[in-house]
Amino acid sequence: MSRATWIHASILGAFCLGFGIVLAVTDQQTNDDIKQRILEDKERSLSQVLPTAIHDNSPVTDTIILKDAKGEDVTVYRATKGGQVTGVAYTIVGTGYAGPIRLMLGVDAEGKILGVRVITHKETPGLGDKIQVDKGDWILRFNGLSFANTPLEKWKVKKDGGQFDQFSGATITPRGVVGAIREGLHFFDAQKSKMLEAG
Amino acid sequence: MRIAVDKSGPFTHAPTSVSRTMTLVLAALLPATLYDIWLFGWPAALMFLVTVLSCVGLEALCLYLSKRPVGPTLADGSAVLTGWLLAMSMPPWAPWWVCFVAAVFAICLAKHAFGGLGQNVFNPAMVGRIAVLVSFPLQMTTFVRPAPLGSAGSPGLIDSIGIIFGHSPMLDSLSAASALGYIKTELSRGIPVSQSILTAPDLTSLALGTHAGSFGETSAFLILLGGLFLIAKRVISWHIPVAVMGTLFLLGTVFSAINPDRFTPGTFQLLSGATILGAFFIATDYVTSPVSKSGQLVYGFGIGFLTWVIRTFAGYPEGMAFAVLLMNALTPIIDHHIRPRAFGRTRKGEPLPLNRGNK
Amino acid sequence: MATPYKTIIKDGLWENNGVIAMLLGMCPTMAVTTSATNGLGLGIATALVMAASSLLVALFRNTITQEVRIPVFILIIASMTTLVDLCMNAWMHEMYKVLGLFIPLIVSNCLPLARLEAFAAKEPVGRSFVDGLFMGIGFTLALVVIGAIRELIGNGTIFADAALLLGPAFHFMELRLLPADTGVLLAILPPGGFLVTGLVLVAKRMIDLAAGKEIRMAGAHSV
Repeated sequence: MSRATWIHASILGAFCLGFGIVLAVTDQQTNDDIKQRILEDKERSLSQVLPTAIHDNSPVTDTIILKDAKGEDVTVYRATKGGQVTGVAYTIVGTGYAGPIRLMLGVDAEGKILGVRVITHKETPGLGDKIQVDKGDWILRFNGLSFANTPLEKWKVKKDGGQFDQFSGATITPRGVVGAIREGLHFFDAQKSKMLEAG
Repeated sequence: MRIAVDKSGPFTHAPTSVSRTMTLVLAALLPATLYDIWLFGWPAALMFLVTVLSCVGLEALCLYLSKRPVGPTLADGSAVLTGWLLAMSMPPWAPWWVCFVAAVFAICLAKHAFGGLGQNVFNPAMVGRIAVLVSFPLQMTTFVRPAPLGSAGSPGLIDSIGIIFGHSPMLDSLSAASALGYIKTELSRGIPVSQSILTAPDLTSLALGTHAGSFGETSAFLILLGGLFLIAKRVISWHIPVAVMGTLFLLGTVFSAINPDRFTPGTFQLLSGATILGAFFIATDYVTSPVSKSGQLVYGFGIGFLTWVIRTFAGYPEGMAFAVLLMNALTPIIDHHIRPRAFGRTRKGEPLPLNRGNK
Repeated sequence: MATPYKTIIKDGLWENNGVIAMLLGMCPTMAVTTSATNGLGLGIATALVMAASSLLVALFRNTITQEVRIPVFILIIASMTTLVDLCMNAWMHEMYKVLGLFIPLIVSNCLPLARLEAFAAKEPVGRSFVDGLFMGIGFTLALVVIGAIRELIGNGTIFADAALLLGPAFHFMELRLLPADTGVLLAILPPGGFLVTGLVLVAKRMIDLAAGKEIRMAGAHSV
């Protein structure tokens, strides 16, 4: 190779090496912080469905994997107090207007809902997105409900004969959410013993 | 040298003008419009007036701002027609501000930002409709059940002013889904089309317009009459309407035969939604459709096909407006590839051989 | 014949503004300007990357040969972007959650590369740093203006969630000018980005015209 090529190659190489080192050092410096932030994020979103008052462990790290009715793996986060499981949280998926709606469902040991929050959805802004807690308190009215205090046939939107309001102009979204929660409670009933086993 | 001119030019004989065309189109729309006003009551009449007047007012404003003569250009009637078509594509009880925003998009952005009549790439009325459909999904998908003027369910003039200009919310009991919307909703909760179509408005109801839907599109029969009148008057040719409706009908029939649980039949596709209004009055807009007849067939096929695809697979139940806009965007390409034959020349642009007819 | 600082600053903020004069960096402009806060966040991050990479390029401008300058420029921009990305993730996590998706896009923004090539590769360190910084600030201003208009029309607010980005002291910036649920949704959807950007361009041209400046329309035919 000619001399000029060598020069260009070494300039490029030197810059690559130099910035490579800079980036490696930064990565080292920020790595722990970033891990910590991601853990905090997860804890914060879990704490919305598993109130901190009911547990003395870290639900993010206390997980078990169970199979749902369709045979798919579901990660269940467990809240324990004094070694006793006081609540569990897991992801449920509903069919929305524009795609799947993923929610986090928190249930206490008696099968009562502690909280539901939307994780991701693609519903129409202004119509279906009222399921988000920052856009309306619709999602909060599930708190405290269970199959014990609400008969199975009431777990529908009003249009289908149940007890949950649909939104004006949008029925499919709430229908999907209610259906997903209903399935989520069935999942709890089916796997109750495994979920509540002292870990 | 003196050249004797004993014949007038071929371009001078027909009494065609922009305003004559517009008048004929408006005349063709009139029966359906009056019928729909009767069907949906005073609020619909107000909605119609607000939309048309907004369009005319905004047209005047745009002309004034661009320092063009206001009076003569307004008199050509194109703004009235745009407003009229826009009103026909709105829900009958749409609030005034939805109509006004639609008119702003239609006249100011789709028409005058491009340079006014004849310069616009996209059909102004459809741009207006889509802009508000995307912006206000709630207001644009709240349709009312028809309640003819004078009947019990029809609100009086004062109440109507409250509905269109005020904040009085529409009662849930009055609202209903459009036929296409109903089928789509039912399908999404797992009810096959073959079953939900039995409870959807039947074909007679679709033809007569006694079902919920946009203001101007529910009465398929009267719109069809108006369209045929335009063809008879040679304001439009048959190519685009036939291509649009034929494609929709064929796709509907074929796929419904294959899987009646998933696809709606061709007759339903034809009579529901904006099919007939779109095919005769919207897709045929001179400015935004191809010039040549074969180009128009391609264009019409494209609209029919896209409408069917959007209705069947996409998020919105009705796809006519989207399909028209998408094909508007392709019109220059169609015109480029399927050029009309220039007068006195062959299709390839060579001069015609001389004296062919004089043997 | 170094460019005077005053010209550099004026160019960056208005005359040669990356977005509203040169129409560079349209991809992030369309993507993040759904709110003024998002525009501000990405603008600041871009300004940081631009200032740092202009400084570095000017510093090494005599070392970097013509033949390898483009790869080296991109390497520098990419490294600076990654630095900003990592640091924000670690120490400004709330802001990162809003903007994290868009930060890597700074690499694909052609504005930093354009300024390195057009300015930093030829001018001294101080001026290059100022050019990068003010081009970035000009970019930020454009993004904030477009974002504010889109947010106001689409959502009725201005600088919503600014406190998440800048800290609780900035709650006063969050204004709600229209009642909730009244926005024209289109403005915060992708078509709104194009419409509002177009209108902002028109506004700049009109201001320039009113100031008696000659408008050069590159590529446009005179009619």
